[in-house]
Amino acid sequence: MAPAQTELNRSTVHEMTPVQNCRDRGRQAFIFHAKRQLGVYSRTVLHREFDRAVSSGRSDGGASNPLADNPAFAAWSALNIGSQQQMWRALGDMVDRQTDALNEHARSIEARSPLGSLTLDPELPLPNYFRETAYHGQPGGFCLDRGESDWYAGALQEAGGTLYTRGAGTGDKDSKGQAVVRFLGQRFPGLRPNTLIDLGCGHGGQTCNYAAAFPDARTVGVDLGAGLLRYGHLRAESLGLPLHLKQACASHTGFPDASFDVVVSNILLHEIPRDMLRAVMRESFRLLRPGGVVLHQDVPTQRPETPAFNQWLSQWQVQHNDEPFWQSFAETSVPDALVEAGFHPGQIFEEYVPQVDGPLVWYMVGAQKV
Amino acid sequence: MSQDGAEPRAKPEYFDDPAVQALYQMVLILGEELAVTREHLHALTALCAAGTPPSGEALAAFQPDEAFDAERAEWVARLLEPLNQLRNAQTDT
Repeated sequence: MAPAQTELNRSTVHEMTPVQNCRDRGRQAFIFHAKRQLGVYSRTVLHREFDRAVSSGRSDGGASNPLADNPAFAAWSALNIGSQQQMWRALGDMVDRQTDALNEHARSIEARSPLGSLTLDPELPLPNYFRETAYHGQPGGFCLDRGESDWYAGALQEAGGTLYTRGAGTGDKDSKGQAVVRFLGQRFPGLRPNTLIDLGCGHGGQTCNYAAAFPDARTVGVDLGAGLLRYGHLRAESLGLPLHLKQACASHTGFPDASFDVVVSNILLHEIPRDMLRAVMRESFRLLRPGGVVLHQDVPTQRPETPAFNQWLSQWQVQHNDEPFWQSFAETSVPDALVEAGFHPGQIFEEYVPQVDGPLVWYMVGAQKV
Repeated sequence: MSQDGAEPRAKPEYFDDPAVQALYQMVLILGEELAVTREHLHALTALCAAGTPPSGEALAAFQPDEAFDAERAEWVARLLEPLNQLRNAQTDT
């Protein structure tokens, strides 16, 4: 085992990282550059065509698709969806080829004295929306669980998340968890949590950042996906970071009232239905000790000055890229949900923070519990 | 409880003729396979130039430099360049 990692980003390698061979590298590099080019295309040609359609009076840029009969839109959509399907196939092939070797690594990690823990609940009922959504087109979705040692969903989630976000223009020197840690440090200097929980932690990629940033805290992560958590446990152990991962819903974690100093989530809110979002806010309030801080980080769909074209791009994600709750998230006021959950209106904060090494802006919303 | 997993949703048809969409998929697959060939060729050429026997292990361990990545970006941009000509003629009228 390597010494505990303190710098974690999209390039972090651990024992469960699949190794790229020359063929994998060629395939993934093609997908990466195709995605980058398609991103440039959307920001130039599609944006131009969108503005032309709106200014010609053929569309108001609202509910109807101004580009519905535009060949540029059709070509871009076909290639965008095609590259996403191509990505999952290339990554799946890479992981499948190394299943035996990765299982061997998993057994080796499990044979060591654990730093953290993994608690799965085979009887946990999974909500329909979670069982039925193959988020971002990931084969099997986040609920895929093919048996008691299956870590496949987590491996795909990490590999896909890395390639997708890099293809979207993000660099590899920063992560969402690091952005949250920086934000907390700036807004709440001196914050030293003894306990932190990451809701909807997935494969624990961001959770590890919290364990690294707050080494004296007990860092907990919950998620519904057993395959994500198994991989997350192996990943964290390999990185020398003590995570305590539990299979539970972010809205009903099962931990006692007022048992955490910090509650966080990363890009969870846009992946869940509105009633679940509200339930997550109630759970955040219940879990926090007085004086504790909740911070949810997500995509900036709610930014008031979001141009019509960017709103249209969000709609595309909903209809074409297995993002069923993107739009309902954009239309939900998280601050209102926090107030409804019990947080004092005067303690709520909401900011848009640019990425350190990419073109995206993160939405940071949360509150301190009085 | 074991879960078989979720299926991605059916995607819309973007063209009047579904064969056009299939053709785009085929172009992507061809591009991907060409990228694999370029990757191998570059690695083999570099290994030979360095006097390293081009074994499977040497191929796997080979890491291309940034200049090669710039070449990748350049040819993929060229592949997709014809898309820039597309515009909705009806909007012009």
